[in-house]
Parts: sequence; C-alpha cells; structure tokens
Amino acid sequence: MEKEVFEKQLMEYLKGTLAPDKKEVFEAFLEQDADAKKQLEELGGVWESLEMLAVPEPSSNMDMQFFEQLDTEITKSATATTSWTEELKRMLGVLFRPQLVYSVLILGLGVLGGYFIKSGGSKANTTIETVNVSDTRELREKLVLTLLEQSSANQRLQGISEASKIVQVDEQVINALLKTLNNDPNVNVRLAAIESLSNYVNNPSVRQGIIQSIPNQESPIIQVTLANLMLALEEKGAIESFKKLLEKEELDTTVKKKIENTIASII
Amino acid sequence: MHQLTDNALMLKVKSGDLDKLGLLYERHKRRLFGFFYNMSGNANLSEDLVQNVFVRMLKYRHTYSGEGSFLAWMFRTARNVKYDHHKKNKELFQADLSSWDYKMVDNDNAIAQMEKKDNLLLLRKALMQLGEEQREVIVFSKLKEMKFSEIGEVLGCSEGAAKVKAHRALKELKRIVQKMEIG
Repeated sequence: MEKEVFEKQLMEYLKGTLAPDKKEVFEAFLEQDADAKKQLEELGGVWESLEMLAVPEPSSNMDMQFFEQLDTEITKSATATTSWTEELKRMLGVLFRPQLVYSVLILGLGVLGGYFIKSGGSKANTTIETVNVSDTRELREKLVLTLLEQSSANQRLQGISEASKIVQVDEQVINALLKTLNNDPNVNVRLAAIESLSNYVNNPSVRQGIIQSIPNQESPIIQVTLANLMLALEEKGAIESFKKLLEKEELDTTVKKKIENTIASII
Repeated sequence: MHQLTDNALMLKVKSGDLDKLGLLYERHKRRLFGFFYNMSGNANLSEDLVQNVFVRMLKYRHTYSGEGSFLAWMFRTARNVKYDHHKKNKELFQADLSSWDYKMVDNDNAIAQMEKKDNLLLLRKALMQLGEEQREVIVFSKLKEMKFSEIGEVLGCSEGAAKVKAHRALKELKRIVQKMEIG
C-alpha cells in the first residue's frame, strides 16, 4: 500500500469512519505488514489516551453573559425595524385617545394653579433636582471607570454600555474610552468603544483621539469600522492616519481597498 | 419532534430571527469551549473566546450562505477569533498545567490512577509542545461530529490533505511523548 494512502486510511480507521469494505481490506493489510501494524498500535495508543483528557464544563456565567448580549441585540434590531408607518399609526392612535383630552385639561389646571402660587419653593426644588442629576452622572462615571478596568471582557463591555447612557461625559471617561480603543485585547470591546465614542464626535478631543488611534489598529473589523465612521463624518484630518495604516505590509487586501476608497471619498 | 438543522437555524438568524442564535449556542457552546480549552488550557479565556465567536457570527450573519457545513463555518470563525486574540496579545497560548484534569474510570485503583494521571499530564504537556497548527488538527480530528471533509473546509485544504496533516500531527505527538518519557 502506498505510504500516503496508508496514512489516510490509518486516520480514518482510528476515527472510526473507514467504510466497512475498506476497513476489511485495511485490516487484512495490517496482518501482512508488521511495520504498519506497529505504527497503528503506537499511534492508536496516543489516540485513545487523548480521549481521557477532560474538558471542564463552562460556567453558568458564560450562558448568562451570552443571553444578556443576545437580548440586547434583539432589542436593538427590533427598534431598528419598526417602520415609520407603524410609528405614525401609533402616534395617531395616541392623539385620538380620550385620555389625552383629560390629560390636557389637568395640565391646564396645573398651569393655572402654578400661576397663582408664589414661586418661593420652586427655586429650592430645582437645585435639589440638579444635584441629584449630577450625583447620578458622577456615580455612573465612576462605575464606567471601574468596569473598564476589569479583566473580564464582558464587564468591560458593560462599562462601555454604561458610558453610552451618559449624555455629557467628562474628560476622564473620554480618556478611558480612548484608552480602551487603543489597548483593549478584546476586539468586541474595542468595537463597542468606537460605537460609544461616536456619540461624542462633536468634541474635538474625541475626534482627535479616534484619528490618532487609526494607525495603531490591527484588527480588520476595527479598521473598517473606523473607515466607515470617518467617512460618515467626512473627516479630512483622518487621511494622514489612514495613509500611515496603508503603509503596513500585513494590512488585509480588502481592508486596503476599503481604506483607499474612504480616502478618495473624503477628499 | 423535527429538529431544525444548524444550517436552517443560522439562515433564520440571517433573516432577522436572532432568537435562534440561542439554540445554536446551546448546541455548540461545549464543543467550542472544548476547542479553545484544548488549545489554551485556560477556562476563563476560553469562555471569553466562545462569546466572541457568537458575537462575530451575529455580526457577519449576512455572509452566511447556507452552503457547506455549518460546523466548518463556525470553526472557521473560531479560528479567526483565536487568530485575532494572538495578534492583539502577541503571544501564543501558554499552558497552565495546574488546572488540567483527566477522566477517572471507576475501576481504577489508587496506584493505577496516579500512573494514569502522570501519563495524561505528560500527554497534555506534549500536546502543548506541538506547533499550534498540529495541535489544532488533532483537536479537530478528535471531535466525533467532525468529518475529515469538514476539517479540510476549516483548514482550507482538501479532505485527503486534512487526513495526512492529522497523521503527521499524531506521529509528532507520539514522538514528543516518547522523548518526554525518556527524559
């Protein structure tokens, strides 16, 4: 039997996928060829031992995080697919409800009442409310910074999701998000950081931070996402960074084309 | 009850029925976890990488054509996730031998168990000494559900070449084990 044919059939034999007729011929061959039989025994021993190597069960945490993430995606996708006609119907439905009439009436009474009451306490109320909003923001920012430092990618993703809930973020959070974009080992976390940072592109330091991170990115998905973002923003300042990226030899050819097109479109 | 095939489920995910990814996850999470665990020996990292595979499957669902084997497509995605991980961390998987275990057989006595444990630890070490590509082909070959034609699809070679690669990897593993036994 030819060496390569023997090697292929030996693997099929060990895996148990050799067809019955071929198996018979193979076994007959083994009986006649002592070297081949010895090889089967030796390799067969290692093959069987591999069965004994145990793999632990993944933790329930993995399931929890997967389904959490899937739920978020499903919600996102459902929101995006609600058509404008459905939205219009829903709004019209609300307008013609009798509850609306009552609500307007009560609101009118409230306004009138408010007009006649002196405004002494209202100032104090506003202050308290402002303090509360600011407290919540600070707490959330602290939470974001803590979560972004965690070793689990899922917790860092959660941190970014928390950051996206803050309307006006401070420099510290921006810097933490940019640091994540530049250094996080997990590609999904980096992607989420871009998505979150894209909410604050009106802030020049965010734009600059994203542009500066372009040449450091090695993952094709990140490179393409950044190209799409810069294209959407028509950011001419990104051209130099993209050119630096194009100089990299290991750059994926599809990404290369994408970046060249992006540069051409921005110009 | 008729069960939807993996291909049919993934096509449903592609058409927007994202819920079905949960079923695919339940079917394949252990297989994927086993792949990453056998490659890295690190359970926490393996869990993270399994998540990344499904995130990527969701993200690139539009590229799924439904042709060919779903298993091969999924493991190709898993390889890309592994590749990205290496690229980002600029290091290959390192073995943490302390966490490894083996499957006990009830009728083993204590001495036989110790011996078996030693042998299997040796085998683990030998497996980690194999080049990553060879380790990968061994891990795929040991998956009962995966045919050599599918392994070829994942590795980007013919079915015959996959068998030859598996044979060479197994031979190399045996050589390393023997060398370690002598040393």
